[in-house]
Amino acid sequence: MKFECGDLERALAVSELMPEAREHLKQCANCRREYRLWNEISATGRQLHEGWDSPDLWPNIRKLLEAEPKPKSDSAWWSEWTIWAVAAAVLIGIGLLLLPRLQQAIQTPEERIAHTGGKTDRDFLTEQALEDVQRTEAAYRRSIDKLSQLAEPKLADRGSALAANYKEKLLLLDSAISDTRSNLDHNRFNVRLQTELADLYREKQQTLQELLTRDQKN
Amino acid sequence: MWEIGLPLRFAVNLPEHPTDSELAEECKKGNLRAYERLYELHSARMKSLAFHLVGNRADAEDTVQETFLKVYRAVGGFAGGSSLSTWIYRILINCCYDSLRKQQRLAERPAPRELRSDTKLPLKLALERALAMLNERQRLVFLMFEVEGLKHSEIAAILEVPEGTSRSWLFEAKRELKRMLTESGT
Repeated sequence: MKFECGDLERALAVSELMPEAREHLKQCANCRREYRLWNEISATGRQLHEGWDSPDLWPNIRKLLEAEPKPKSDSAWWSEWTIWAVAAAVLIGIGLLLLPRLQQAIQTPEERIAHTGGKTDRDFLTEQALEDVQRTEAAYRRSIDKLSQLAEPKLADRGSALAANYKEKLLLLDSAISDTRSNLDHNRFNVRLQTELADLYREKQQTLQELLTRDQKN
Repeated sequence: MWEIGLPLRFAVNLPEHPTDSELAEECKKGNLRAYERLYELHSARMKSLAFHLVGNRADAEDTVQETFLKVYRAVGGFAGGSSLSTWIYRILINCCYDSLRKQQRLAERPAPRELRSDTKLPLKLALERALAMLNERQRLVFLMFEVEGLKHSEIAAILEVPEGTSRSWLFEAKRELKRMLTESGT
């Protein structure tokens, strides 16, 4: 291919053509001038960098950043959302757990007799109600277990007195839950024990929730 | 482990030469030392690029300041799809355009560009004036590549275009500048 003056621009865009362009530049003063200007634009461009001292700029930025709340990561948002979702599930569990007792409270004595097959003792639940309670209790326990899993990394911090306090409280609650459950095994229809168990679960749920949301509030 | 929200003045130290992802992680934690490192690494280029886009030093500094604030507020959502520096320049360019829009609203026309003090060299002066007449994308690529020394791969990531497009815009910019300079008899 014979390199012409009109090919110079293409050669500047496509580096493969540069060896031929250089041969042409040796003979063509006009193209040499064009090529020199092309390179001068780049060289002069580098001199256009504008530099100046701004001694106050970083201190000002620093002050502004210090006044800002801590950056919130998407993962923190997700974690907060998870806590609230589990907490909502726990609350629904409490509602379901207490529902049979509420139903019993609003029943007339005749209805109660009909449901208990003649037994009028308020402290005893029917088989059907007990199944409901056990089912909802199991769901409630699973929700609390999820909260416990979320709280585990925070409770594992051996250097924190706060973590130690929470851990101790949770151990006490677990022990009380275990005792109450054991008593219930011997007296399955006792409403008072069922209510105590529900209260203990609620206390554990609130403790875990408080622990999980504590550092987000701080 | 407990996540403790330390005030920024208790910023944790960084490795001597933190990688881009280490810096991003520390920025997400609110470590002010990481922001200071970003400032040390990029502020000179950021100020210069902003100066050429907004036209004066005071607005350029305001724009850099605004960029750091925006980075701080949005870094939690930075997924790491591009490098942190690339992301910062993208925010800077948007801040510059916001600043220009503000200037135009105030004056109802673009603010006069501050002329450099050392414009004794005719080509330099002519090039500055010709640059102001380029279209936006050509001007941006020229400023980033020729003036600030960014690579085409970096420019492509900042402008979210293929690398070939960045090269092609630079070529168009230089061709246009050459035409204007030739016509003006420089």
